Amino acid sequence: MMNDTKKDLKNRINHIEDVLASVAAGDMEARINSEIEDDLSGIEAAIDLLIEDLTDELKKREVMQREVEDKLAKIQEQQKTILQQQQDLLELSSPVSKVWDNVLILPVIGTLDSQRTQVMMENLLEKIVETGCTVAILDITGVPTVDTQVANHLLKTVTSARLLGAECIISGISPAIAQTIVHLGIDLSSIRTKATLQDAMIFAMKQNKRSEDSRPHSRFADADEKNE
Amino acid sequence: MNTDLQEKRIPIIKIRDFLIVSIQVDMHDRLAIKLQSQILEEIAKTGAKGVLIDISVLEMVDSFIGRMLSGMATMASIMDAAVVIVGMQPAVAITLVELGLDMPGVDTALNMEKGMEMLEKRMRDQQVEDF
Repeated sequence: MMNDTKKDLKNRINHIEDVLASVAAGDMEARINSEIEDDLSGIEAAIDLLIEDLTDELKKREVMQREVEDKLAKIQEQQKTILQQQQDLLELSSPVSKVWDNVLILPVIGTLDSQRTQVMMENLLEKIVETGCTVAILDITGVPTVDTQVANHLLKTVTSARLLGAECIISGISPAIAQTIVHLGIDLSSIRTKATLQDAMIFAMKQNKRSEDSRPHSRFADADEKNE
Repeated sequence: MNTDLQEKRIPIIKIRDFLIVSIQVDMHDRLAIKLQSQILEEIAKTGAKGVLIDISVLEMVDSFIGRMLSGMATMASIMDAAVVIVGMQPAVAITLVELGLDMPGVDTALNMEKGMEMLEKRMRDQQVEDF
């Protein structure tokens, strides 16, 4: 009699173990479903309940995960668009054009950041070398604000242009920018600044004239005149 | 032997009152120091009034070479010869500025022709002043 109960108990414990093992293996349908009412049945019922709860939780988590993945995909898509647009903006934002003999103009519009100024600087220097222009006008009429970093970049651009052998004029400094620059303690005294693009152009053309006047008549030109 | 060869690679040509130095090889530190003293000796020997250094072929300039170039300009100006650095590449200019070597007091020109004009103009101005 005693032996039978023991055997029975052992069987039930084995069954519990089996169910727990299959749940652990991922089979959420497994239940103990004991029909006998005794001390052990409470535990069995509790385990069943726990499995039930676990199943629910897992389902919820799966749904949430799917939502998060969807959102992530959307964010990645947006990120791509933003990068593309940034690239476009960089390409669009720094046109360097030759407007007169020896004069280049770089109109800057919009807020400047380090990356943009870097691209701008490279473009300008390349163009200076390409065209052989010795005066470059950096027009910052369209720039609303300037911070230390941007001012620093502007200084670097002007200095690099000087190293190549070209003079850089900054024009169109707004009152707000002038105030910021002085408040930040940035020294622009080594840079030629003009009020408007017009003033800068006039200055550049005068500079041109001066260097042309000072150029000695080349011997070849003299020879040509004699031949004629 | 090797250093002798390197020394000979950078010729210093005298044209009228100017010396023309065209750097056509990568600059090593030792070569740079040699070049510096070579140019200064040549200034003393020929009494040149201007030096044009063409660095259009140099694709990389480190802080040492940068300092050497600006140092040479100062030394030459003490010896009454103006130095114009000619044909610097954009990348080199950016590097030098990033290194904080903005070479104050060194004249630069886009190409040899413009550099020559610059020196001639300076000499004429000086002659006017002297009179």
